[in-house]
Amino acid sequence: MIFEKAFWFIKKGYMLQLSYKFDFFLRLFFMLFNILTYYFIAKLIGDGAAKYLEPYGGDYFSFVLIGMAFSGYLMISLRSFSESVRDEQMMGTLEAMLVTPTSTSSIIALSSLWNFIFASFRVLMYLVIGILLGVDMTRANIGGALLILILTIICFSSIGILSASFIMVFKRGDPINMLLMGTSELFGGVLFPIEVFPSWMQSISHILPITYSVNGMRHALLQGYSLGELAPELLSLVLFSIVLLPLSLFVFERAVLKVKAEGGLVQY
Amino acid sequence: MYSIETRDLTKSFVLYRGFLDAIRRSGNRDILTTLDKVNIKVREGEVYGLLGPNGAGKSTLIKILCTLILPSEGEAYVNGYDVVKEGQQARESLGFVTTDERSFYWRLSGRENLQFFATLYNLPQSVVRSRTEELLDVVRLKHRADEPFYSYSAGMKQQMAIARGLLNDPAVLFMDEPTRSLDPGAARNLRNFIKEKIVGEKGKTIFISTHQLDEAEELCDRVAILDEGKIKANGSPLELKAGLSQGCTLGDVFSHYTGKASLDEQSTPFPVNIPRQKSRGRGMGRRRGI
Repeated sequence: MIFEKAFWFIKKGYMLQLSYKFDFFLRLFFMLFNILTYYFIAKLIGDGAAKYLEPYGGDYFSFVLIGMAFSGYLMISLRSFSESVRDEQMMGTLEAMLVTPTSTSSIIALSSLWNFIFASFRVLMYLVIGILLGVDMTRANIGGALLILILTIICFSSIGILSASFIMVFKRGDPINMLLMGTSELFGGVLFPIEVFPSWMQSISHILPITYSVNGMRHALLQGYSLGELAPELLSLVLFSIVLLPLSLFVFERAVLKVKAEGGLVQY
Repeated sequence: MYSIETRDLTKSFVLYRGFLDAIRRSGNRDILTTLDKVNIKVREGEVYGLLGPNGAGKSTLIKILCTLILPSEGEAYVNGYDVVKEGQQARESLGFVTTDERSFYWRLSGRENLQFFATLYNLPQSVVRSRTEELLDVVRLKHRADEPFYSYSAGMKQQMAIARGLLNDPAVLFMDEPTRSLDPGAARNLRNFIKEKIVGEKGKTIFISTHQLDEAEELCDRVAILDEGKIKANGSPLELKAGLSQGCTLGDVFSHYTGKASLDEQSTPFPVNIPRQKSRGRGMGRRRGI
């Protein structure tokens, strides 16, 4: 039954997306613009940053492409659950769904499915365009990359569920989302290697899951690291997931009970 | 066993007047009681009306019975299921018809909307398809089923809401002011449809909230008059009228039990006369349930 529900949520997301065709093409268009911007920045940098980029294969465009592509998962995971709640609240469809026997947590998880599929499509587009522009992925360890991707989604989604819990209760002003969105791009090694930072700033990078996610992905896709070589990133992401997933589910359950008692489940 | 039963059902909300109140919540809150020890018993196959002005607590009561809001005190059962402890079983056995036409996906067709919601009722896909077609037939919208929902008239949207409420073939159907946004002709058609199809042919128990006296009189076997969160009277329209002088109307009954001039005049947009257990300051602010 869960697969049939997932199918219908994806179909609904796809049909709603298709009904806004202009938005779809606009997003793709600006994605291409973004990639080209960094392509020419990479040309400008040339070998100037080779010292910092050596651990990641030595090429800035490959480095930043993987960073941008997979940081998209962080953004989607952080925002998707809370935005699904808010979108359904604003469209007015949440109440009609909540009165069915499908649980609140399933509804929110399933509502986010289409966003993850769309994010995966964007990642694929990033990689395809990157390869066309000369990024070398011939040594890629696909299995290792998939493992990192799964752990990344579990880990980031847990943070997203925590964020959705805040949104359900407070409606706006979620501190988790604001804090991580603001710090991840700077400290997470998305646009430049964290080795550029002084050591005290690097210690901030080491407490953010995105650092392990994008670095692991670079090592797997660009340098073809084996699972053994990817162990530090894999173990860090597993550790984050073990702590964050049960915590987020507990907080979410409490948040649902609280808003049901307050009668604020469908307010926004 | 009753289809619907409540025992001393009470719902109170805490009113906060802003961010600082949320911080200083202890000892500085207004309590708004929207339902106060409500006791009702609805028999199987009965059309039961909840009559009251806006802000009387009708929607709160329906939302508690549909498991969307938790009660503060008391018990509520739908088809024998405790709405707090057995919420999922209760939801499997009930249907909810909301007046909010935004509760559908406007860019999907009527058929796609029904199929989507049917899946959430855990129905196998073969049943989803057959039930959707059957209900499109019932609400006479098969010929428009593939058109986008936004192209439907207000009456058609309301028919679709009823079709959605029947997707799981519920024993009890809750209808929250189903004719509120309709013109008199469309409202009359919808009432006829409820009487003939939903009650006459399908034999459902219906719990309907309304602030329209003629609607209550025309549709309901029994009505409860709800005002300021309390049940003021309960019985068939005939019984209630017979309890007063000869030739009186349901409007007179309402005035008699509530002490208010007429139902329409009491239909204010905010519950201004709701009793507060503790009060400081003015303004409604945001409400939180307790």
